[in-house]
Amino acid sequence: MMNNRYLRVFLKIFSAIISIGAFLLIWHIATNGTKLGELMPGPIELISSLIKSTYTNIGKYTIIGHILFSLSRVLIAFTVGGVIGILLGTAMGWYKTAEAIFRPFYEMIRPIPPIAWISLAILWFGLGEIMKYFVIFLAAFSIITYNAFAGAQAVDPVLIGAAKMLGAKDSRIFRSIVFPSAVPYIFAGLHTAISASWATVVAAEMVRASEGAGWLIIQGMEMNNMIQILIGIIAIGIVGLLLSIIMRGVEAKLCAWSKSGK
Amino acid sequence: MSKNENKGPKKKSKKYILISIASVFLFLFIWWLYTDVFKAVPANALPSPIKVISTFFIKFVETKPEGATMLQHIFSSLQTTLTGYAIGVAVGVPLGICMGWFDKFDMFVRPIFDLLRPIPGIAWIPVMIVFFGIGLMSKAMVIFMTALIACVVNSYSGTKQTLNVHLWVGRTFGASNLEMLFRIAIPSAMPLILTGLRVALAASWSALVAAELLASNRGLGFMIQQCRVIGRPDVIIAGMITIGGVGALLTYLLKLLEKLLLKGRKNI
Repeated sequence: MMNNRYLRVFLKIFSAIISIGAFLLIWHIATNGTKLGELMPGPIELISSLIKSTYTNIGKYTIIGHILFSLSRVLIAFTVGGVIGILLGTAMGWYKTAEAIFRPFYEMIRPIPPIAWISLAILWFGLGEIMKYFVIFLAAFSIITYNAFAGAQAVDPVLIGAAKMLGAKDSRIFRSIVFPSAVPYIFAGLHTAISASWATVVAAEMVRASEGAGWLIIQGMEMNNMIQILIGIIAIGIVGLLLSIIMRGVEAKLCAWSKSGK
Repeated sequence: MSKNENKGPKKKSKKYILISIASVFLFLFIWWLYTDVFKAVPANALPSPIKVISTFFIKFVETKPEGATMLQHIFSSLQTTLTGYAIGVAVGVPLGICMGWFDKFDMFVRPIFDLLRPIPGIAWIPVMIVFFGIGLMSKAMVIFMTALIACVVNSYSGTKQTLNVHLWVGRTFGASNLEMLFRIAIPSAMPLILTGLRVALAASWSALVAAELLASNRGLGFMIQQCRVIGRPDVIIAGMITIGGVGALLTYLLKLLEKLLLKGRKNI
């Protein structure tokens, strides 16, 4: 049994090396001295310039600086969107009056992609940081609200019945039953929302910024610099992956009780 | 919605509908008050709701200010989206199913897919523009990348979740590997595949807006971008409402399809 598992892991790594190696090799052959090669850099050139970009500046900062800029935008807007989304979502799920007041607006806003707000946000807030915060906020907020709302609605009615029988007030039930049982849903929402926020910051920076990951790739397009575009994309992918892994780790730590209960 | 039944008698629901209507009207009224009556916000930042509604209808016949009517923009956006989406589905769903079913195929394709997966579709916009210019092709390719990932992920996990018991039954009755794929795995993966189609369509629509904001000369994203430049927020808001409306309509159509295809399942 043990041997079998090791063999599987070995096979997995082995096949991954082969397939990625083959991918790089085809890429290398396709771009080496061919017509496509004038448009597209080869893998070796790309990796060496990716390493170089960590200590030389592109524009005003190194690639790490650009990534940190984008990350700070995401984290600020995501935090605000998360707090408001969780509060609004759980409140809408539990208090019917809150649902009656806010749900129509929420349902109107939800189908509009956050990216479509960029134009209006520029008119309202100018080209600066607030415009980006606003758009990312919307991306995080709409997903988190939806999940918090669903979580608060999916509370076990038996628990509520028991609490009521023991004389708990509405607000007490909200705090000690509805909110905690919505937490797994909220975390699923946070997980989706961080990926969406990351994609949105890239879009917002592509439309208008002077630094950040999105700026990096759009600047590469304007300068016709394919290498810069591709290292930007690689950096965006890596950070997106890391954010998702971190979120999953936090979720596993904080919601361990719900996972083991399932 | 059902959980609230224990909170009060059903006739109260009328009261809540009234509250909803009142809150929407109050919002529109305050908006109107601030823009048309008090003129507290400049008209080139926030137009009055009446102006937005009239612009919305006027845009259907008027080509000003950016050169096409609303329907032409909608048509152009839909054409781009559906082209990219159709290719994404046609490639993504079979790819996901094959990855989920054939272990050896999975071992070699999955690592490459995992490299591409964390990259948001819209990050491909500059690459595609360099390759294909700003026409339909570049945007369709961006949407293809967006749709592909959602389709593969969902078809893959759908196929992987096939119940072993069902497969055992199939094997006992002497079904071949391919027969089991088509008669057992794909039908039982269908709900997740359809969810994937829905997720992919919503993501495609949003990627389309981003692509049109950056590079195009037709389409809803182009319209709101142009009207930002010339300062016409009424057209922007009308455009956003249209984008939201068309997106919601597309999702609704796919939900109908889901209902139609998954008739046998009660939980959907």
